[in-house]
Amino acid sequence: MRALKTMALAAGLIAASMAPSAADEWTPERPINIIVGFAAGGGTDATARLIASAAQEFFPVPLVVVNRPGASGTLAAELVANSEPNGLTLLVGGGSESTSVPNHLKTNYSLDQLRGVMRVNREHMVIVTKADSGLETAADIVEKAKADPGGLSYGSSGPGGILHSAFLVFEKEAGIEMTHVPFKGGAPALAALLGGHIDMTILTPADAAAQRDAGNVNVIATTSDRAEQLPDTASLQELGYDVNIENMKGLVVSADTPDEIVAYLEANFAKAMESETFAVLAKRANITPGYLDGQGFEQAMQKMSGSIKDALAN
Amino acid sequence: MDTFLQVLAAQMQPSVLLTMALCVVVGMIIGAIPGLTVSIAVALAVPIAIFMPREYAFVMLASLYAAGVYGGSVSAILLKAPGTPASAATAIDGYAMSQQGLSRKALNISLLASTFGSMFSIVLLVTFAPLLANFALKFGPVEMAGLLLFTYTIVGAVSGDSMVKGLFSAALGIALATVGSDPMLGVPRFTYGNTSLLDGLTYIPLLVGLFAIAEVLKHASERFPSWSKKVSLSTADKDRNRLTRQDYRTIAMPMVRGSLIGSFVGLMPGIGSTISAFLAYADAKRAAGASGRFGEGDIRAVAAAESSNNATGGATFIPTLALGIPGDAVTAIILGAMVMLGVQPGPLLFVTNPDVVYTIYIVLFMSTVMMVIIGLVATRALVWVLAIPNLYLMPVVALTCVAGSFVVRNNVLDIVVMLAAGILAFIFGRLRIPVAPLLISFIVTPPFEEAVRQSLAYSRGSMMVFLTNWFSVAAIVVSIAVVVLVALSQRRRTVPA
Repeated sequence: MRALKTMALAAGLIAASMAPSAADEWTPERPINIIVGFAAGGGTDATARLIASAAQEFFPVPLVVVNRPGASGTLAAELVANSEPNGLTLLVGGGSESTSVPNHLKTNYSLDQLRGVMRVNREHMVIVTKADSGLETAADIVEKAKADPGGLSYGSSGPGGILHSAFLVFEKEAGIEMTHVPFKGGAPALAALLGGHIDMTILTPADAAAQRDAGNVNVIATTSDRAEQLPDTASLQELGYDVNIENMKGLVVSADTPDEIVAYLEANFAKAMESETFAVLAKRANITPGYLDGQGFEQAMQKMSGSIKDALAN
Repeated sequence: MDTFLQVLAAQMQPSVLLTMALCVVVGMIIGAIPGLTVSIAVALAVPIAIFMPREYAFVMLASLYAAGVYGGSVSAILLKAPGTPASAATAIDGYAMSQQGLSRKALNISLLASTFGSMFSIVLLVTFAPLLANFALKFGPVEMAGLLLFTYTIVGAVSGDSMVKGLFSAALGIALATVGSDPMLGVPRFTYGNTSLLDGLTYIPLLVGLFAIAEVLKHASERFPSWSKKVSLSTADKDRNRLTRQDYRTIAMPMVRGSLIGSFVGLMPGIGSTISAFLAYADAKRAAGASGRFGEGDIRAVAAAESSNNATGGATFIPTLALGIPGDAVTAIILGAMVMLGVQPGPLLFVTNPDVVYTIYIVLFMSTVMMVIIGLVATRALVWVLAIPNLYLMPVVALTCVAGSFVVRNNVLDIVVMLAAGILAFIFGRLRIPVAPLLISFIVTPPFEEAVRQSLAYSRGSMMVFLTNWFSVAAIVVSIAVVVLVALSQRRRTVPA
């Protein structure tokens, strides 16, 4: 009798312990691919490798970082948006390819086809002008642009990218008109600014601080909220322009992915964000963590995309 | 100075030197494989480097960069399969020399010129970096448009016997360059809805196809003739392959001019070492005048192209270190790695982290020295590649090309581009149409279009912007002058009085 009781208890315990994995929890059986829309060695690639190394211990299968560079990240976004919704193909998204480009151009995917897993980090964007340009505040820019519509020019990292969009939203909010000069990436745009060929561009806070300390640029404002590296620089919001654009990075999957799979990915990647490994690696790589859960990340992307869409409708 | 000596002492540790030697070897090998370029080597090293102590990390990245371009020339000379795009200009005369049994000589000239070009640009970097970087900033879109217009005149130098065929090839290159996103509006052109084509026809697979695959096809169509007739490894050949005092004198000027051209191009963003090598080639050809045998294995061609592409590599570090603005894809990756190692690049790098700057100076210098030592040893062995029967060698080359083209973007489309380019170049070869003009106009057209349209954007559509800028006017005048002179000389040649 007693033996039977023990056995029943044991069986119950086994059943209880097996329940979550057998009944409602999905587990991956094949390697998970984390697709990066940019070449190895860049910032997005670094973020991907960072998450993969921090999260590996929480997954029973390998996490593989795959670079599919091309078309400003939209090639990879298209691939993931249209991939089989089995939770094995993730995209490092949240930047230009998610919030900006689909509003400007016809792409073979839309933001609605992507579902958030989590946001990893957010990178502030800072508007800068040349040091001796006489443009020292946002008010200077607005005043000059109103006096001579189209006379001021801004350099972007490419048409349809998030730098281009940030300026478009700023133009709309301030009611001004400026000339867009796209470059192949942010670096040549900065060179053109320092050479006095364009009037303003956007940098990361760290780069903006470095160029300001060297006396090369005036730091005007951030396009979202205040950045840690530039505590004295106000945001456009604070200055009265409703602009909230920044470069986010996080993980997304195809929108058709079942809830249980997304729940599994969310839970395990969230563990990675709290891990010691992530803290050490993020500090080293100078990444500003900005964790949001899947839904929160999705809402943040939709909101940003919406404001860009409105600015373009103008 | 104290910092400098500390850094120098740190670099002299056996473990650091060993890391450097290893990276030079790896850089040369990756450089030599068609399709695998220096930027891939450096990009793949970044995830390893960021977990290493700083001094090792920078040693690794900078020495891979320094050695890669030379490696590309080895396969360009021996197999007409430029390992990196920068070696395309070297392939023309270098391979011709190889065919005449002078591969040892070509490799040695290439090594000598590479070293000279590297050293030249490193000296510029160490002595004048801030000055030159600020000079380069003066070059905005209008000046760039002028400069790039002039680079089209290289077509004249690489067209061979028939200018009509050369111009046809160049025109096709321009047409192919229009595929992809519009640089100003981002609107797709000739992509037929294929996202993979938005960046245009990818340039490394195209290059690999134009040179290496076309050569493989040519050999296949001739049923893989043995090279042993053309390439003898006998002792009698050693004398022919020796560099004479006369040779040194002949290549001295092309090397100096090539290094100057290469360094200048390296300062400018977005032109790159492929074009700088062709610019130096064209310059050396013009300077040689009637005495030149360019296209048929002239040692000056190899010397000019090689000194120029290596000088560009070193000069690219000038804007990178002095301003924090990367000069090309590789230096962009190196700057990214700096951030991950806790060093903020920017104009104040010399003040905040002089140790990093000195490390890069010393590594560039020492890895060049190592490149010479390893190169001299390797040349003796590498020539034996040609002893492998073509029937076995060529399929290996073809396989490497396929793998190399794919690996750039993990994209199957790139293999298609490579094969199509190979078939096109094979047909060109049969019709005696040169492929170099196609390659040049294909590379120059996108930045030229971008610069012209950027200029027009801020001039609000007025063409006058090109005529009110002295540099642009000068470039237009010189370009027209070169075209007229070439046309006149052609006329004299084709219509004998």
